[in-house]
Amino acid sequence: MTRVTDDIIIRAVARVIMPFIQIYALYVIMHGHHSPGGGFQGGVILGASFILYLITHGLEDAKKRMSELKAGLFSSFGLLIYSGIGLLCLIMGSNYLDYGRLSTLLKVIPAQARSLGILGVEIGVGIAVMAVMFSIFFDISTGGVVPEDEQELETGDE
Amino acid sequence: MSVLHLTSIPFLLGGFFFFFTATVGLLRFPDFFCRLHATGKGDTLAVLLSLIGLSIYEGFSFTSLKILFIAVFMFLAQPTSTHAISRAAMRCGLEPWTKKMEKKNDSNL
Amino acid sequence: MSNFFLYLGMGLFTLVFLCLYRGVFGPGVLNRIAAISAIGTKTLVILLIMGFIYHRVDMFVDISMVYALLNFIGTIAAAKYLENGGEI
Repeated sequence: MTRVTDDIIIRAVARVIMPFIQIYALYVIMHGHHSPGGGFQGGVILGASFILYLITHGLEDAKKRMSELKAGLFSSFGLLIYSGIGLLCLIMGSNYLDYGRLSTLLKVIPAQARSLGILGVEIGVGIAVMAVMFSIFFDISTGGVVPEDEQELETGDE
Repeated sequence: MSVLHLTSIPFLLGGFFFFFTATVGLLRFPDFFCRLHATGKGDTLAVLLSLIGLSIYEGFSFTSLKILFIAVFMFLAQPTSTHAISRAAMRCGLEPWTKKMEKKNDSNL
Repeated sequence: MSNFFLYLGMGLFTLVFLCLYRGVFGPGVLNRIAAISAIGTKTLVILLIMGFIYHRVDMFVDISMVYALLNFIGTIAAAKYLENGGEI
């Protein structure tokens, strides 16, 4: 079970650094066209910031910020964005994920519509990867045993 | 070789000197806590000097500002990680080395 | 100037191998964690120097920032693992 670090230095420094890590992750997702980065890399950095919070502040505080239910919802939401854009291209009368047809919807030229379509897909991928990384680390570090489940098992037996 | 290039060379050479002394300390000190002193302080100062030298070399642009951001982050993060490791060593019961000990007191964890 | 960066990079690379000695033969886990943290710091500077040699600094700055972040998080996780005797 993940315990709180009873050391105020590590907790304070992690609290100060976390927002800047998240802003940097958003920069990596958005700037994927012109620099190393993209959806998956930015999602990993965003997930790493939540893992830092889980390590330094323990299980209870981390579950208040991002519970297992929220992680599942976020991963589904990211997937919805990805496949939703693909289906939108299919509805407009072309192949799956053929972003050129979005130009009539967005009122831009087809080349710009392709660029915007790729950006939207990368955002969806980033959100999904963040949620999955946090969920995997949560499951591995607790071993599937959560204190509330243990209490329910004990009261259920009696 | 403009003035900016000539100004950045002492910073880079100073950074390399501190990296060298930190590595020699990591190899030759008799105790774990002494080695943490060497790598925690020497490496942080060396990275700071090297990154300032590299940002001066680049000139006044957006990239050099990003390099200075990395330098500020290393200044905050590396002493914290050194503190975390030394706290773990104290909790595991490792005792500091004194001169009266006959052999080196390395951790056997 | 490119030659100067090349020699500096090669010198730092030699220092990485010297730190690797402590990483392989360090008696105990704690010495190895400290050595890996030092190797990570040197790698960060080597990446930036490589960016200057190839005249494409914009790409290598992002990569070195990410490596600094991951080095920090990894060291704190390893230290907490040892402190609590096998559980994070």
